[in-house]
Amino acid sequence: MKKILTVAKWEFLEKVKTKAFIISIILTPTIVIFFSITPTLLTGKEPDTTKVIGLVDTSGIYFRQIENALDKYTIEKNQPAYILVRLSGKSEYEFDSLKSAADKDVIKGKVEGYLLINNGGTDSVNVEYRSKSIGNFKDIQRFSDAFNEARIERKLKAEGINPKIMDYISKNVSIKPVKLEESGKESNVDTLTIFFTAFIFVMLLFMLIMLSGQMLVRSLVEEKSNRLIEIIISSCSADELLTGKILGLGALGLFQILIWALIAVSLLGAAIIPFATFHNILPMLVYFLLGYTFYTAVFVGIGSIVTTEQEAQQITTYLSFLLLLPIVLILPVMENPNSILIKVLSYIPITLPTAMLLRVNLGPIPTSVMVITICIMVISIYIAIKLASKVFRIGILSYGKRPSLKELGEWLRES
Amino acid sequence: MLIVENLVKEFKNVRAVDNISFKVEEGKIFGLLGPNGAGKTTTIRIALNIIKPTSGSITFEGKPVTNEFFNIIGYLPEERGLYKRSKVIDSILYFAKLKNIPKQKALDEADYWLNKLDATEYRDKKLQELSKGNQQKIQFIISVIHNPKLLILDEPFTGFDPINQQLIKETILSFVDSGKIIILSTHQMETAEKLCSEIFLINKGKEVVSGSLNQVKKKYGTNNIKIEFSGDASFIKSLPFVKQADIYSNYAEIQMTDGISPHELLKAAIDKININSFSVIEPTLNKIFIDVINESIN
Repeated sequence: MKKILTVAKWEFLEKVKTKAFIISIILTPTIVIFFSITPTLLTGKEPDTTKVIGLVDTSGIYFRQIENALDKYTIEKNQPAYILVRLSGKSEYEFDSLKSAADKDVIKGKVEGYLLINNGGTDSVNVEYRSKSIGNFKDIQRFSDAFNEARIERKLKAEGINPKIMDYISKNVSIKPVKLEESGKESNVDTLTIFFTAFIFVMLLFMLIMLSGQMLVRSLVEEKSNRLIEIIISSCSADELLTGKILGLGALGLFQILIWALIAVSLLGAAIIPFATFHNILPMLVYFLLGYTFYTAVFVGIGSIVTTEQEAQQITTYLSFLLLLPIVLILPVMENPNSILIKVLSYIPITLPTAMLLRVNLGPIPTSVMVITICIMVISIYIAIKLASKVFRIGILSYGKRPSLKELGEWLRES
Repeated sequence: MLIVENLVKEFKNVRAVDNISFKVEEGKIFGLLGPNGAGKTTTIRIALNIIKPTSGSITFEGKPVTNEFFNIIGYLPEERGLYKRSKVIDSILYFAKLKNIPKQKALDEADYWLNKLDATEYRDKKLQELSKGNQQKIQFIISVIHNPKLLILDEPFTGFDPINQQLIKETILSFVDSGKIIILSTHQMETAEKLCSEIFLINKGKEVVSGSLNQVKKKYGTNNIKIEFSGDASFIKSLPFVKQADIYSNYAEIQMTDGISPHELLKAAIDKININSFSVIEPTLNKIFIDVINESIN
């Protein structure tokens, strides 16, 4: 036990001191912040000029209403956001020639763009917004709202219904999902929070495993390539070394994530942490740690087979993506937490931790399922560590080419 | 006492160690000699309990080698390497701690050894900043810092300049007085000859020669003669009682057929070349090594 801690402490302290670690701790959040904030800064800016929008309406009935509807949008200093101009409403012109004339106005820059209303006042009405740049979805949404309001209002008037009913119609009542806990208590969590809590935990697990798994494999490959491993193995048992490494590098991964979390909280405030879901924290932590231990044991087994860092990196990357598999299923699972698929996945050791992290957040899990899944995980971890330490014992002393599957089988049978 | 009995280690289709037995006593340096791939490292790994033998046993102080001996074994592997990016003193302390040495004692010992091996100035440097020879000194310190009872040194001298070789040699000899069991595995026969009192020559997993250095030399070296001369000595090779001759430009090493007196050679040669010196010599371990290995191949 003492030697395990010695190894763990060494792995932790020596890696914490490296430049690569310090750089990654600072650089990663910087990159994340840059990529998440820059687009918001750029798109969030309101335009500072009034846009001139044309209207071609052969029926000539919508102009006033749309103009009124667009009046409520303003920019700086209370300037109107849009000025609506009638390009031509006279019906004596051919529709096609109207259109081409208006198109020219857009190209010449007379107007930003124009709304083309065809068959106005009939059921087969269709509307286009024609402009040089159609990427501004906010504008288009506003025009669409304005037109539809006008259209419905006209219809109501025509049918002799009080237009005030419009307010009623436009008020949309959305349904609030309420999650019931096993105890019958209500929980104050919305769907989005559930999604993100599960997602954050799975991503943390993924990151932790990627980080410490790769560090683990890399440190094994290094010790193997300079045969340092022989000195260590003549000082402590392979199991002690293995456990010490898992603990030390795991602590390092957690430490790194903790620092990132602190940076995130200090920059964005504590609001980003979905405190409301913290009552699930215990089962989530359990699955988190079980998952971490299981994966690390698998990584050790693999790390002792490979002989170069490139090989190590390829294999660990593929392996990590297996862990992400259930994330792909997150939406279907949220639609139906009782689907067979997620249930099956929550009994397979490789996907179990992620699947259970999702399920714990979606609804109460029967105690029996908890017990069974935790047992599966504990047994899998035991087997994984046993196999890993066998492969490790022999693998660390074999140099040169990677063993074939057949040789690997012989290793497992040996000793 | 370390006792190896009928040790066999088989890898897939290969007998790396084939039924070898030997004993190593306290206060002696035991030379485990042999060409590349002879099975030396495999034997060492079994003694270190890194791998398990197929059959046979190694016992240390009457007990089979298990993990409980970790803290009293010191090992210097042939291929050197340490944590390149770590500080010298940190690495030393880590390995001392793995051998259960308390921190303060480890610090004292580290400083003692750094001083003794003339490496104190590198104490707080990163290992990768050191020259190869100095890195090896650090590794040597790591193998002895816990004052092991059993010390296994695999090619301890390669990479050292003559001055440092001498320093390491003296250090190893000083361990003899403190009653350690020392196993020295090397290709450098000259060094083995100077240091080892017992040797065990292994080839292709099998014992070839073993015993005390004197016994081995006696067994292989009764009829060796060294002549220093001037003239053409090439005729010596064709003399009927000369078994083998290595003739250089002004001296020759000659091995006579068994039972022939060195006198015969002197008589045959005295008329043909000017002899400056004529002596009966013991063969070098190097020569025994080459001869015996060649013999076992044929």
